[in-house]
Amino acid sequence: MIGKHILCVGIMVLSLQARSQLVIARQGRVAFFSHTPVEHIKAENDRAMAIIDLANGKIAVSMLMRAFVFEKALMREHFNESYVESDLYPKATFEGKILGFEPYGVEEQTRMVLGQFSMHGISREVEIKTRIESGLGHYVLSGSFEVRVRDYEIRIPALLAGNIAETVAVDFIFEFMPYEN
Amino acid sequence: MRTKAVLFLMFSLLGHAVIAQKGLLEILEEEQREIPQYTLGTFKATRIGIGHSVETRGQGILDLMINNRYCNTPTQYSQSMGPEKLNTRIALEYGIDDRLSAGAGGSTWNGLFDGYLKYKLVRQRSDGGGSPLSATLFQGGSYFSEALGPYVEGDFSNRISFTTQLLVARKFGPSFSLQVAPTFVHKGLRYSDGDPRNHVAVGLGARYRLGGHLSMVAEYYVVVNPVESYDTYGPLAFGVNWDVGNVMLQFMVTNATHFVEDAFISETDYNFNLKNATINLGLSATYSIHLSRKLQHLRQRP
Repeated sequence: MIGKHILCVGIMVLSLQARSQLVIARQGRVAFFSHTPVEHIKAENDRAMAIIDLANGKIAVSMLMRAFVFEKALMREHFNESYVESDLYPKATFEGKILGFEPYGVEEQTRMVLGQFSMHGISREVEIKTRIESGLGHYVLSGSFEVRVRDYEIRIPALLAGNIAETVAVDFIFEFMPYEN
Repeated sequence: MRTKAVLFLMFSLLGHAVIAQKGLLEILEEEQREIPQYTLGTFKATRIGIGHSVETRGQGILDLMINNRYCNTPTQYSQSMGPEKLNTRIALEYGIDDRLSAGAGGSTWNGLFDGYLKYKLVRQRSDGGGSPLSATLFQGGSYFSEALGPYVEGDFSNRISFTTQLLVARKFGPSFSLQVAPTFVHKGLRYSDGDPRNHVAVGLGARYRLGGHLSMVAEYYVVVNPVESYDTYGPLAFGVNWDVGNVMLQFMVTNATHFVEDAFISETDYNFNLKNATINLGLSATYSIHLSRKLQHLRQRP
């Protein structure tokens, strides 16, 4: 009888563990920078979301394009309406895997994250070098990568070609906490 | 007891299976549903063509506007090939916060000075929830500063006019927006005692985005009780808006000669037709200056 109770409790603990293998970041920060001799543009989204399955190192990221804040308010309108067309493509997403991820017992590691990055209706395979810090069930992922504007079929009118860089630099930092459903 | 334990085990495993089947992106999608997504760019500027749109300027944006209307007078005596009259309005308009805008300007015709306040009451949302419409409350006033003839009372209260509008609009997709604007106009200045002081009008406006930075607009005001002592017509405008960077250019053809709401709604003297060339060309240029810059803290990682 007692054995059965222990079994039950054991199963419950197991099932809890299975749930807590997911960690989520609800207020990830993603910033991008475009530098040209004519103009410097920067924008930040502090509500990007990401989730990691610690069991297999799978990771997903999703952010709303409308949530990007620009240095100049008018740029947000142009960005959403004329460039990323957020009415049609409201989100940018990433789905992939952290290669060689060690979720437990390593305080700091640098890993490659390989997966599909989708934006403006175009999906491409990308590889991003990511620094992972962890402790007590919390994980912080940070890094930077570059995006070629043309790869995602974002058209820039000739008149503004000098104002917007062909390649924009993207910085990100996500702080993960255990995911409770 | 054993069956219970087995059932419990089965349900626990089933629970796992359900969680495992749900993709990571789907979990994020559910989480994101709580973030409201407000529709952006129902109209590109604070004006559709001749009248105001539901849009207010973002916080800290100062717009310098120069509006021109090149007008023809449809008389037989005219010898001129070019436009015979030019009305110009110069104005400054400012976004106090993201929902409240204010502006002040002056037109060369009638020495008409105007000011307005505009507040975005309701914002349309494009995430399925919330309001399907945007609504903005507009309150404007104008002062007629030019000398008046001996038969018109010209004290201060007669020179002041007011316009109140409820602008209601919906963006139906990435390229089409529609606006309806119930309007109340109080005219201080009357040229005959039989004319109504208060006018009711309904404005209709639409925008179609041609792509990139170019859009087409149309606008019309139906005046329910027009001036009686002389003929007036509903103002109609067709135009093209082109915005690039901090500059917005609006080209239009219209029968309206004035820029201020109370004036063009109640005092448009000629009808829109090609027969006697009463179509006026309009050119508005708006230059936006950002007085407050966000993201001062943000630095790129080395």
